[in-house]
Amino acid sequence: MAAGPYNYSYIFKYIIIGDMGVGKSCLLHQFTEKKFMADCPHTIGVEFGTRIIEVASQKIKLQIWDTAGQERFRAVTRSYYRGAAGALMVYDITRRSTYNHLSSWLTDARNLTNPNTVIFLIGNKCDLDAQRDVTYEEAKQFAEENGLMFLECSAKTGENVEDAFLDTAKKIYQNIQDGSLDLNAAESGVQHKPATPRSPINTDQPQNKEGCAC
Amino acid sequence: MADLTNEPTVASASNNPLSRKLNKILETRLDSDKELLEALKALSNFFTENSLRNRRNLRSDIEKRSLAINEEFLEAFQVVKEQLDGVYSDVQAMNECCQDMANRLKAAKANTHHLISQTTSLHNESQKLQVKEQVAHAFLDKFQLKPEEVKILRGTRDGALQPEFFKALARVKQIHSDCKILLRTNHQTAGLEIMESMALHQESAYERLYRWTQNQCRLVTQDTPDVSPLLCQAMEALQDRPVLLNAVVRGFKRNAPFLTRGGPNGTPRPIELHSHDPLRYVGDMLAWLHQTSASEKEYLQSLLKNCSATSFQMDEVLGHITEGVCTPFKVRVEQVLVSEQDPVILYKLDNLLKFYHHTISQIIIPDAALMVTVAEIQDLSHRMFFNSLTGHANKLLDKVELPPSDLGATASLTQTLQLLRDVLACHDASVVPVDDKRQDYKQILACVIDPLLQMCSMSASRLSAVDMAAYMVNCIHMMNSTLALYEFTDTRLEMLNAQTDAHVDTLVSEQATYILNRVGLAQMYGILQQHRIDHGALSSVPGLDELAIKSAVNKFDSYLAQPDSLTLPQCNVILSASIREITKKRSVELVCEAYTQIYKAIMNPSNGYKDGPGIVPRTPEQVVHLLM
Repeated sequence: MAAGPYNYSYIFKYIIIGDMGVGKSCLLHQFTEKKFMADCPHTIGVEFGTRIIEVASQKIKLQIWDTAGQERFRAVTRSYYRGAAGALMVYDITRRSTYNHLSSWLTDARNLTNPNTVIFLIGNKCDLDAQRDVTYEEAKQFAEENGLMFLECSAKTGENVEDAFLDTAKKIYQNIQDGSLDLNAAESGVQHKPATPRSPINTDQPQNKEGCAC
Repeated sequence: MADLTNEPTVASASNNPLSRKLNKILETRLDSDKELLEALKALSNFFTENSLRNRRNLRSDIEKRSLAINEEFLEAFQVVKEQLDGVYSDVQAMNECCQDMANRLKAAKANTHHLISQTTSLHNESQKLQVKEQVAHAFLDKFQLKPEEVKILRGTRDGALQPEFFKALARVKQIHSDCKILLRTNHQTAGLEIMESMALHQESAYERLYRWTQNQCRLVTQDTPDVSPLLCQAMEALQDRPVLLNAVVRGFKRNAPFLTRGGPNGTPRPIELHSHDPLRYVGDMLAWLHQTSASEKEYLQSLLKNCSATSFQMDEVLGHITEGVCTPFKVRVEQVLVSEQDPVILYKLDNLLKFYHHTISQIIIPDAALMVTVAEIQDLSHRMFFNSLTGHANKLLDKVELPPSDLGATASLTQTLQLLRDVLACHDASVVPVDDKRQDYKQILACVIDPLLQMCSMSASRLSAVDMAAYMVNCIHMMNSTLALYEFTDTRLEMLNAQTDAHVDTLVSEQATYILNRVGLAQMYGILQQHRIDHGALSSVPGLDELAIKSAVNKFDSYLAQPDSLTLPQCNVILSASIREITKKRSVELVCEAYTQIYKAIMNPSNGYKDGPGIVPRTPEQVVHLLM
């Protein structure tokens, strides 16, 4: 059994949050399809996409839940924070209001996810630098104050989109390696298959499992 | 020898034999006759002395010599002859020998002929057998399993499955299907037997595969995100036995640990801890179901990636997998719904369920147990909501309040309208399709507005007609202004407007009558309308004499100076300014109309009034101008 090549070793669950129209769905689309979706319709409730990435030569499947930004869906989308390993919090650099709402999104994220959830701040639409309304430095400072990772991206050009998703995964993976993220807890947002050793200390455990599987 | 006598006759010499002979001798050329020369030479050997004796003895000498030579010759030949005899006898012997050998060979040949033919036939046979052997080998290769394959199929004691298993299984299957060709030829018995044995192999192999897969599934579904390729292969192989595959796939049903398990350090808290907040509780459960269904679908897709969709209805399987959560979910939501009294919350729950029914149906087919459950619960919530609304409405009718003195809305009306506002407002925050919304609104309005109208009529039942009209106008106005803010209320609004119009009509006629009564024109107007030309002049009718009319017109004049003084109090308490205006305007129009008729009648000479303009100094145009 162990010889069979598995497609991936972990599943990480992400959630994308932020105001309406900041480009959450476009970011997801850019990341999963590597295409920019013009005229993206409003998300109804939640939608989801997946992609397999590689971190430290481990295959990781990202299961990304893209939430609706409209206020009327807030009650619905709040139910999806549960069990997210990563939260991508998006604002639009050309609209200050979306930046101003970040603290409320952050409060939601902190309250509804688990303490180990990696929160990544994304300033989207950085291709529209001429219409910039929020400076990089300002957002960077906000991210540092709140212990968030931060990047400015463009779902349109694809700039930094990959990095935002990958860096989040790397951070989560690092947390697993550190042992600060307990995979056995429900709602950790990470699923792991037992056949590959998760860390040198734990190697015997999966082997036991493997033994009884055969 | 030479005959000399023939010499003289030369002429006849040619005819004379002697001459001929002589000629011949003469013509003989000794040097050219080799034989003669040889003979002479030989003669010279022993005839050395030409003597008489010798000449006499020449003949005998020659004869003697000849004899001697012949004797010599004979001797020599004797030897040759003897030798030839020897050779002859040898050849003879050889011939005999050969003859003998030939005979013997013949005999031997005769003897071995049988053997040879036997050998040949045996050889042929052996060749045939060899061909047969090859055929048999080929046949066995094609139609029998190799011992190691059988071993793999039977498996080891611990039940593990090697990848070769699938190859062997495929071979069994191949052989089984190849047997059909055998059956078509005249090898039916063999075909049947092989088929039977292959079927046995197949059955046992499938059973083993089934057990193994089932075990794997049980192990694998606990916490693992992915499926081993071997398991995928197993699923693929099991496709041939849909019953088994179904059994395997249905084997893993999820339970609902999510309800009681929270995150690390208790954040986020377990869903069940939110059971005091029905919306959050139900919403979280539904969101979990949605996410889990999506994950399960992905999982199933990777599990069954080798299986063709046609032979296997993945949707159906997904339905079965999610069946396990139905009951715990249903029990919990039902509890929430049954204990919830507030129609607003119930309606929000109803919308939430509707939304998730729609959302999850993108992942799970509608006839799956989970979807049926969600639909059932949604139906229940719908009913509970309308029960609650109806209950509220019934309460209204049970305890009808009396209208307040200002004929405004009662407290229960205000409350109910507030409730209606709250309920309808839920829709703004909800996510259900427009058609549902339209249908819902219709039902909600029917549920609230009809009883409200009924309640208002009941509460107004003891009022005077004018009071009732004003009260109803006010109540309907309240409803109207509430509904006007929402979509899909047009038909309702129309209906309410029609009712308002009816009540306004009442108010208008009451108001006009009141004014005419107060100025004393009402009676005159009544008589005037019933009067016909043939009754004679109006001035002769009692009550329509000039004096009476004059005093009435005086009073009318004072009314014209202060038109508001004669407004009914009921018209003043109408809440809607526009309705108030309309009522006023329309009643004034009626008054003007009446005045116009009276004026025309008086100015008509046939009615016998002497001083028309003196009695009615104001023209109708002036009156209209003053009043409007």
